[in-house]
Amino acid sequence: MYNIISKTKYTYAFSIIVTLLSVVSIFVWGLKFGIDFTGGTLMEIKFEKSVPANQEIEEKLRDLSLGSLTIQPSGNNSALLRYASEDDATNQSVIKKLEEKYPGATQLRVDFINSSVSKELKSKSLMAIFWAVAGIMAYIAFAFRKVSRPVESWKYGAGAVIALVHDILITIGVFAFLGHYYGVEVGIPFIAALLTILGFSVHDTIVVYDRTRENLIRSSSKEKFPDIVNRSLNETLVRSINTSLTVIITLLAIYIFGGDSIKHFSLALLVGVTFGTYSSIFIASALLVTIYKWQIKS
Amino acid sequence: MTIKQKLQLKFGLVIALAIFVGLISYPEVTKKVPKVYETLNKLKINLGLDLQGGIHMEYEADTSKVDSTQVGDAMQAVQDVIERRVNAFGVAEPVIYTTKSGSDHRLVVELAGVKDINQAKQLIQETPFLEFKEEGQTEQPEQIPQDVLDKANAQAKQKAQDLLKKALAGEDFSQLAKDNSEDPGSKDNGGDLSFAKKGMFVPEFDKALFEGNLKDGEIYPDLVETQFGWHIIKKIEQREGDPVKSPESDNGASNLEVHGAHILIMKKEQPQPKIGFVSTGLSGKNLKSAAVAFQNQGLSEPQVSLKFDDEGTKLFAEITKKNLEKRVAIFLDGEIISAPTVQSEITTGEAVITGNFTIDEAKKLVQRLNEGALPVPITLVSQQSVEASLGQVSLEKSLKAGIIGLILVVIFMLLYYRFLGLIASVSLLIYTGLMVSIFKFSAFSPWQITLTLPGIAGFILSIGMAVDANILIFERTKEEIKKGRGAVSAIEEGFKRAWTSIRDGNVSSIITSFILIELGTGFVKGFAVTLVIGVLASMFTAVVITRTILRFLIGEWIEDKLWLIGAEKKDV
Repeated sequence: MYNIISKTKYTYAFSIIVTLLSVVSIFVWGLKFGIDFTGGTLMEIKFEKSVPANQEIEEKLRDLSLGSLTIQPSGNNSALLRYASEDDATNQSVIKKLEEKYPGATQLRVDFINSSVSKELKSKSLMAIFWAVAGIMAYIAFAFRKVSRPVESWKYGAGAVIALVHDILITIGVFAFLGHYYGVEVGIPFIAALLTILGFSVHDTIVVYDRTRENLIRSSSKEKFPDIVNRSLNETLVRSINTSLTVIITLLAIYIFGGDSIKHFSLALLVGVTFGTYSSIFIASALLVTIYKWQIKS
Repeated sequence: MTIKQKLQLKFGLVIALAIFVGLISYPEVTKKVPKVYETLNKLKINLGLDLQGGIHMEYEADTSKVDSTQVGDAMQAVQDVIERRVNAFGVAEPVIYTTKSGSDHRLVVELAGVKDINQAKQLIQETPFLEFKEEGQTEQPEQIPQDVLDKANAQAKQKAQDLLKKALAGEDFSQLAKDNSEDPGSKDNGGDLSFAKKGMFVPEFDKALFEGNLKDGEIYPDLVETQFGWHIIKKIEQREGDPVKSPESDNGASNLEVHGAHILIMKKEQPQPKIGFVSTGLSGKNLKSAAVAFQNQGLSEPQVSLKFDDEGTKLFAEITKKNLEKRVAIFLDGEIISAPTVQSEITTGEAVITGNFTIDEAKKLVQRLNEGALPVPITLVSQQSVEASLGQVSLEKSLKAGIIGLILVVIFMLLYYRFLGLIASVSLLIYTGLMVSIFKFSAFSPWQITLTLPGIAGFILSIGMAVDANILIFERTKEEIKKGRGAVSAIEEGFKRAWTSIRDGNVSSIITSFILIELGTGFVKGFAVTLVIGVLASMFTAVVITRTILRFLIGEWIEDKLWLIGAEKKDV
């Protein structure tokens, strides 16, 4: 049996540092929002031969004044064009100009979102996150309503929520970093990933807490609360790791083989699930013990 | 029925289910029995636009001019019209629906498998929007200060003087006109105005051209100022026109025709107050039919005659009564095409549009109007289009990812849980088959599932999560064995004890999935729907199917072969 709870100060320190780094990168760099949230156009063009130099394409499209145009090769002789302009007529002239200059160029994909739609997506996403957090908190409170000794049920809820905030902040932080250095954009899929992480992280934490609850009911009065928590952690450790491993295996398969459009989505899930497993083993239960110790002191 | 018989029955059902979902998912194995194969092969997963190529468009309808109680009807009418247009295009199974978000009304059009995306889009966008407007308040445009205006005109006059000098000095007149003239009608022809009779131009111009005693090819030596600006006039040639029959032409007026050319430098003027037109509420939605008509047995230019429905007839009568002697303008797609003055109240519900139509234009307009004019204007606010080949690539890649993910999970389970892992893997395969069958059969239910790329991602992810329940159960089983329980009862205990964790853990995933479905955009919905179905189906396979197989296969024989399930008994 590993004495996980005794290592709490190291795991706390690690989590606080990583969380702080994430918060700092979120505030300093911010997330690089994609067209889902800013409005604009994303166009994938396949060229007949090789992708021409960015400058050459920019030159050709200059007089359309597209606004913050970026061009990024996307493999297979194709390139992704992103720009702020968001009306259909402009998009038509972009492809026309490119077809003129590069015969055989075809338009593989066009996504365009008007700013009124993107504003709405933004507010919808915020609402979704709000309701997800509220729903999960309500559920945790309900699931642990019968546990009251020696730590009250709402404190389990608080522990789970802190672990969850930790996972989410770190995932967002990683994407702030990726956005700043690699231009990775976040859109609606990122929100979907965050909410999935919410569900998964809580799922993991609940399994550990469930075991704690069960052991509390059946334990002898001699066994102290921190020991019960530690025993519960150990009993569920293999399960936590194995479950996460199978999920991580499938996510890696999506990340490596699944194609570009869902690459960043699976990356967000990978980061979130990894830290979600970490926090359910090292943070969530440790928080229960910390709360318990505070109670004894006061 | 004894317990044993019950178990045998249950196991039989599991086998039957496995074979059933297997055949549904992979009908190729029945190729030797063509009848069965054909039936099974008819079941298809409904693929999303991102996997088969196609276009998703969201239009926003401007309903500000429509009475709030009528908005629903208007949107329904928009949908009907677009449906008619799309059907004419021949797209298989178009999806067209209206949505409301906040106070905005949207129309969503999804066309799957469209080869020429731009053509399809044009077809929808070309939908005419017909509207009748009446005169409203005049708009007073901003005045330009007089001194600025004077200065600009002095410059314009100077430019005209310079040009005149050049022209008189023998420079190529038509080239000068091409480069400098501000008359859009003649500029590109080198200022050519073709043959004209006296009286067709403004008086100052006429005087110079017809009475300036110019020889053929000569340029009028002075600038001619008219209401438009300053002209440099050249007479190219003249001829006697056709004899004029009207009585006025007898009194000396010649039927001389002069072929002239000019260069115009325009005068800047105070902007004229514009008459603004305001909506009357009468629009294309009140149209019953349209037809091409000719005024004088086909001799005059074609017209488009309109017939209104009952409501339109009433409205049109009111409008014409209210606007006697005033103009009523007809707007098509936001542009004014004609603005006739109302002569009398019209109660017949008929109107005529005269624009400068050619016969073809008129015919086309009539066709478009009959197919349906939109009751409210719509603008494209969001679009996602995927070319079919790109969709194919996405489908292949994601399927590959799914198969690799499935194989890796199976390998992991076999290595770690051995015999139990084998059974879990069998359940996992049944789970995968079950999911594919659900996707295929959903087409027969009101809740057809469309599998999109994120949906496949959700499905693959659910494969990883599906074994979670089994891992929980197996770990619990191993623990119980460690504590000294017999393997058979340990397995039973494992299922019983792990159940609350499985249930509680999955509820949180289901909560977030439902919220994601509510968020409602394509990407998220596709992902969340498959995830939620996956979570529910995996609970079923992990608990019911794995348990039945285990109960059937595991007996006392396992007690001395505990290594098969990767467990060891504690020495007591």
